[in-house]
Amino acid sequence: MSKLLLQGNQAIVYAAERAGLGFFAGYPITPASEILLEFVGRKRVKVLQMEDEIASINAIIGASLAGRKTMTATSGPGFSLMQESIGLAHMMEVPLVIVNVQRVGPSTGMPTFPAQGDIMQSRFGSHGDYCPIVFYPNSVEELYQHTFSAFNAAEESLSPVILLSDGFISHIYETVELKTYPTVDRTRPPLGMGRRHFTGLTHKDNTKPVTSDPEVHRALLRHLKKKCEDVSEKYNFYEYIGNDTADTLLISYGALSRAAYKFRDKYALFRPIRIFPIIKDLKEIAEQYESVIIMEMNLGQYRNQVESVVHKHVELVSLTGGKIDLKEIWDKLTAIKGRGRKRVSVAD
Amino acid sequence: MEDTTRFKRFLKEKNLPTPWCPGCGNGIILKSTCDAFDELNLDTDKTVVVSGIGCSGRSAGFFNLDSVHTAHGRAIPMAEGIKIANENLHVVVLSGDGDLLGIGGNHLLHASRRNTPITIICFSNEIYGMTGGQVSPTSKQGAKTITTPDGCKDTPINVQALIKAHNCFYARTTTFHLKHLKKCIVEALRHPGLAFVDVICQCIVNNGRRIGFKDGYDMLMHYKNTYKINENADLLKEGEIGITKVGVVK
Repeated sequence: MSKLLLQGNQAIVYAAERAGLGFFAGYPITPASEILLEFVGRKRVKVLQMEDEIASINAIIGASLAGRKTMTATSGPGFSLMQESIGLAHMMEVPLVIVNVQRVGPSTGMPTFPAQGDIMQSRFGSHGDYCPIVFYPNSVEELYQHTFSAFNAAEESLSPVILLSDGFISHIYETVELKTYPTVDRTRPPLGMGRRHFTGLTHKDNTKPVTSDPEVHRALLRHLKKKCEDVSEKYNFYEYIGNDTADTLLISYGALSRAAYKFRDKYALFRPIRIFPIIKDLKEIAEQYESVIIMEMNLGQYRNQVESVVHKHVELVSLTGGKIDLKEIWDKLTAIKGRGRKRVSVAD
Repeated sequence: MEDTTRFKRFLKEKNLPTPWCPGCGNGIILKSTCDAFDELNLDTDKTVVVSGIGCSGRSAGFFNLDSVHTAHGRAIPMAEGIKIANENLHVVVLSGDGDLLGIGGNHLLHASRRNTPITIICFSNEIYGMTGGQVSPTSKQGAKTITTPDGCKDTPINVQALIKAHNCFYARTTTFHLKHLKKCIVEALRHPGLAFVDVICQCIVNNGRRIGFKDGYDMLMHYKNTYKINENADLLKEGEIGITKVGVVK
């Protein structure tokens, strides 16, 4: 088995190709451009550079319906442009993978600096109700592994799956063992094999739109939610490092979770890899500790989600602007300790 | 005697009736498309219809083949993805002028540049009909709509120039000229690259009645009197319909 020194973005490409990717469409954007670039010239994957991110996601929806495994890659601004069609892909039940390499926002922000500002966008970005599966690894090796997870979960749930990364882990180089993970193949016949009607309108059995029957819509929502939740249970990925001497659980994910390892002797650590649907085991884990702190490179996007599971106040260490500085983190952590149990946020 | 019902094999009759208003031209284009499919004897297992959003967007749901009803303006990139994924499929886009030339205009610009082999049938009724009659990219200068009560001040989009600039197939026809409409779609389907059929069609309820027409029939008679067929022209002038020569730039 070969080992390679790969950049995070490259690892995604190596894994996608091995997971059976047939078509990639994308638009250049920092810090995700290397993914498009790395696909160019690979014989097994058809690649199309589109005019924008909206065209990219719609092209991969079409290609997926036509039977290919498909993927696109972007960063926050492009991810925002894709949101409408992400809802469409959920509604039409189209499996595909969207890689979002996060950078500092809002708007153009700081393109070359990492951030974690798209957590809510990944979960709630499109209009209406849906229940997306979202992975967020924290190393090049994990990006490689969970690209497989993303493709498999997409096929099993017939839905778009989001693979989050950030400007930090997508740009570092680490060694990766090019393992072959099991892959899941499509069961639904490709376009041209039936008399189906795929539509973003509320519908029943892919035959025709039904736009004035609330019960049909409710049944459709239940179905879309349940299948994603059921499939997500197979991908219950998280990292928990318990600590008998600690009274506090420190939650982090993605790039920032790598800094959290430095504090493992003082805190118990929890890191979700499948960040949505949120890991249910977190409740039981959090109950073992007096208090819970979450560290995020945003103003607290995941905190509310965590609170809804652990049912207690979660303190926030917010680190925006793409800066990961151990001393700053430590100062903020100790500032929380000093203020006792009162709910406080330490933003910069 | 010729069997005039053969087009029905391309229709999901159980999904009828269509949601379109009395006097609307969309049904004429739907039927003519099926007629063209029949003339070419297209394999229903190798033909896919893609539509956008709007009145015309609902047309995809009536075809007795696999069909996709996309988000607003996105029929073309989705059709491109389908075609690239499976080159053996005939991919036909049916959508309106607001969808293809307004919100989706950038995709048409680039799809024609790429010359992706798809057939695009544009229901060009010069109005956003489904939402009540707002001005559209093809509305003529001076046209009174609910958003331009003093008349549209802008120039309508010159889609012929856009398509021809990239050496793609361009035909213009109307819902009055039935035989010509079918011929345009047949030739577009035969064309090996991107083909665009600009079908001028009537929306009486949210357009025609506000600009002086009595009913759908009145609009059709207007097309009859206004448009003259000019076959094999390099470029069609105003008031002309026809299939333009491919490969003649500008």
